[in-house]
Amino acid sequence: MAKRNSARQSLTRLVLFAIGFGFVVVALGAFTRLVDAGLGCPDWPGCYGFITVPLSDAHVETAEKRFPGTPVEAHKAWWEMIHRYFAGGLGLLILTIAAAALLARRKAAINSGSLEAGQGPNLPVGLPLALLVLVICQAAFGAWTVTLKLWPQIVTAHLLGGFTTLGLLWLLALRLDVGRSWRVPRALLPHALVGLILVALQIALGGWVSSNYAALACHDFPTCHGAWWPAMNMREAFNFAQTIGPNYLGGELESDARVAIHHAHRLGALTVLLVVGSLAWRLFGHRSPLALPLAMVLVVQLTLGILNVVLVLPLGVATLHNVVGAVLLLTIIAVNYRAFRAGRIE
Amino acid sequence: MSEAMAAAAGWRDYLELTKPRVVLLMLLCAMVGMFLAVPGMVPLDILLFGLVGIALVAGSAAVVNHIADAEIDARMARTQTRPVATGRIGFRQGLVFSALLGITGMVILYFLVNPLTAWLNLASWVGYGLIYTLFLKRATPQNIVIGGLFGAAPPLFGWAAVSNSIEPGALLLVLIIFAWTPPHFWALALDRKEEYASVDVPMLPVTHGEAYTRLHIFFYTLILLAVSLLPFAIRMSGWLYLAGALALGGGFIYWAIVLLRNRNPRGPIETFRYSILYLILLFAILLVDHYWVSAPASAMLELQRI
Repeated sequence: MAKRNSARQSLTRLVLFAIGFGFVVVALGAFTRLVDAGLGCPDWPGCYGFITVPLSDAHVETAEKRFPGTPVEAHKAWWEMIHRYFAGGLGLLILTIAAAALLARRKAAINSGSLEAGQGPNLPVGLPLALLVLVICQAAFGAWTVTLKLWPQIVTAHLLGGFTTLGLLWLLALRLDVGRSWRVPRALLPHALVGLILVALQIALGGWVSSNYAALACHDFPTCHGAWWPAMNMREAFNFAQTIGPNYLGGELESDARVAIHHAHRLGALTVLLVVGSLAWRLFGHRSPLALPLAMVLVVQLTLGILNVVLVLPLGVATLHNVVGAVLLLTIIAVNYRAFRAGRIE
Repeated sequence: MSEAMAAAAGWRDYLELTKPRVVLLMLLCAMVGMFLAVPGMVPLDILLFGLVGIALVAGSAAVVNHIADAEIDARMARTQTRPVATGRIGFRQGLVFSALLGITGMVILYFLVNPLTAWLNLASWVGYGLIYTLFLKRATPQNIVIGGLFGAAPPLFGWAAVSNSIEPGALLLVLIIFAWTPPHFWALALDRKEEYASVDVPMLPVTHGEAYTRLHIFFYTLILLAVSLLPFAIRMSGWLYLAGALALGGGFIYWAIVLLRNRNPRGPIETFRYSILYLILLFAILLVDHYWVSAPASAMLELQRI
């Protein structure tokens, strides 16, 4: 019994560490994009064919011979490579988690044959394996981000993949009983589910804003170019069949299409504010420990979004908007999970 | 049920939610920050609106803390009669109260003082309410070392309210409170060790034992003494401050040694009380020194140059 508990505890610790590490990877990814370093290395997995950024004159010469169209910009290449190294580290961490979960499950199966049959919930195994598959896909999307020259569809998918990785790691932590005491009444589950779906959609929309360089399409707030309903080209904005081929660094869309994406993200924010805000209000009424985190993260994320526009996209604020978006996702996942578990065992 | 009990809540309950004694100590530090920012008198409107705004935002953060810790508070003797913990004030009333205080404070700071001070206060509000209260406090025994940064910020607010910039001198005052927070708080944690243990808050005496905590308090008082000499070292303050900082720091080290020897069962709580007195007196001396010693001296220097 004690042994199985310690296996569970060390797995929990590993998962929590991976989540912290995952946040670093997400922040580095956002930062890399924001300093326009996504194409800092034109190839994958190496950088101009080297394992690190080419620095010496001889290496730079070789590099520029290999990729004549793209001169080496060491500071940009570094951010791209650091993101890759950390992402690789996260991959190894998830591999370790999957292996540890499998081993622990086998041990538990052997033990249960003798004494402790059916005691306690089993350690999850499916989720760690799904994470492993996901993180491998993420590597592929990372590669395509580079080779397809920041094609917005891939960039957005890569962002969503990263957020999903964090979300599933968090779900794993929750299933390992992190936050046992976070009471959420089951009656709130439908509301929480709608909130989760809206937050996920809003994150996707946010990725679309970034990958189409639409963050500064409206430079005023709350109006856009002085209008509450600006001139927009919705069809072009959400035309998901943009051609592959051109370099999308800096964006290809016309301004009215970018305004459409930007404005859609604002309307999305308003919807999330209403739905998730009212969810937090109901949680407050039930004295749930998750009420305050949800409300505060929501307010912080909205503030950061507004500051992005008002302060003309400062690097720190833009990166934080990305990171806090992930925190909001994890918070609402926790609300959903605890509501789902409420009224069941325990 | 909570609605019915909330009817019994009076203004005293709402006042208690804002942790008035802590806020007063923060205001003292903020005020000293204001006065140190200028050689002469602080403009009266900045002094008034600055302090009111800082107090409102700090009070708002304190209310958040009461809501976040309601469950823990209800299980600890020291805090179980707090208004939210007992249910006299509901989560929703607390939330609305906190939002009112915070928004009023932010509006005052933004429009009547300056936007920089408002943003610094907001950052600290998020840092204290979200990062410290909801995360650090429950996650690591280094909670108050890291979280202390947000509580240490008031001199920076005061200074920025006057100068509309982030000055090295202000950061130095922040550094002093930052070094002061761990020994101050760990002394209290030593006194209330059992209570913290019973509610699973990872305070240092719970996770690493009392002896380890006493040793840490001792080391931090040495660091504090060193840091407290910096205002003299960079000539921001004069000999009066130097003498005061040495005497007060010596007193703190005396109490740290009392804790190390561990013969006095009232040692922790006495150290805690002394630490509060220490901060009040240190900042008072900073102020007195500024107007009686340092500012006149620098004015003389200016005169000589002319």
